[in-house]
Amino acid sequence: MTRTTRVLTVDDSASMRALLKHALANNGFEVSQADDGVSALEWLATNEVDVVITDINMPRLDGFGLIEQVRGGTRHRDRPILVLTTESSDEKKARARAAGATGWIVKPFDTDKLVAAVRRVAH
Amino acid sequence: MPTPEITPANIIRLTVLQGQFKVSAGPRVELSTVLGSCVTTCLYDPLAEVGGMNHFLLAEPPASHDPVDVDVHYGVYLMEMLINEILSHGARKERLRAHLYGGANIRVGMAPIGTANANFARGFLERERIELVRADLGGNSARRVDFRPASGLVRCRVVPSSDAPEVTPQPRAAAHRGEVELF
Repeated sequence: MTRTTRVLTVDDSASMRALLKHALANNGFEVSQADDGVSALEWLATNEVDVVITDINMPRLDGFGLIEQVRGGTRHRDRPILVLTTESSDEKKARARAAGATGWIVKPFDTDKLVAAVRRVAH
Repeated sequence: MPTPEITPANIIRLTVLQGQFKVSAGPRVELSTVLGSCVTTCLYDPLAEVGGMNHFLLAEPPASHDPVDVDVHYGVYLMEMLINEILSHGARKERLRAHLYGGANIRVGMAPIGTANANFARGFLERERIELVRADLGGNSARRVDFRPASGLVRCRVVPSSDAPEVTPQPRAAAHRGEVELF
């Protein structure tokens, strides 16, 4: 029996969180949500996850900071982290990659492409 | 620094077309748009004195009276682009104030795409907890909106429907939408 893939989405927009929850839950994922990097780290401190999907522009701790802290920690340092963002600059993409992101997805997201990416990195 | 007096001679007027957004902290900048069934969001932070305007159409006119299908993904994306740009100029999301205009149903007998656009915009602001300070939505008249993003001052006037641009849904490049790159 295969276990349900657990996904944490991190985005400060309630509308985007609702879209993500709908898209992922309807495709069989177990979805948890945080509204910025700090909330995500607090959640990750006490929970298990298979894939993290994070926005870049967020208050308190942005997506770059979140990736750096997860990669610098121990508990989730090897977990795939997908960036989901409106940003399109190569500089920001390179920065995310250097910080340890697993992939880069541009908004507005396509549900089929997002689901395929999550399945692929979750193994 | 005292705000310079704004006169018709020194005002900097920028037009925001369908599918666009513009952000400015310039005290002499006035953002303008003319709408029919499209909706404009005028967002500003009164403390940081910065704001911006978008102009969007989320629903395509269906051939019949079928329920209008709003592209929510595209709408959330357009709103996020505007908000992120305003925040990058020093605004804070919790201080943002909004005005909404447009969403008219200009052509009798067509599906109410203006109402669909307006409902999306209202719902988005509610979900994001952004205060809506003024809205003039619906009806069957085109509107001209002039917005000073640094002060939040807005003027909305009814104009002849012939002044409103044709409803032309933007090509959304579905093949490239949500492109994924794994590192």
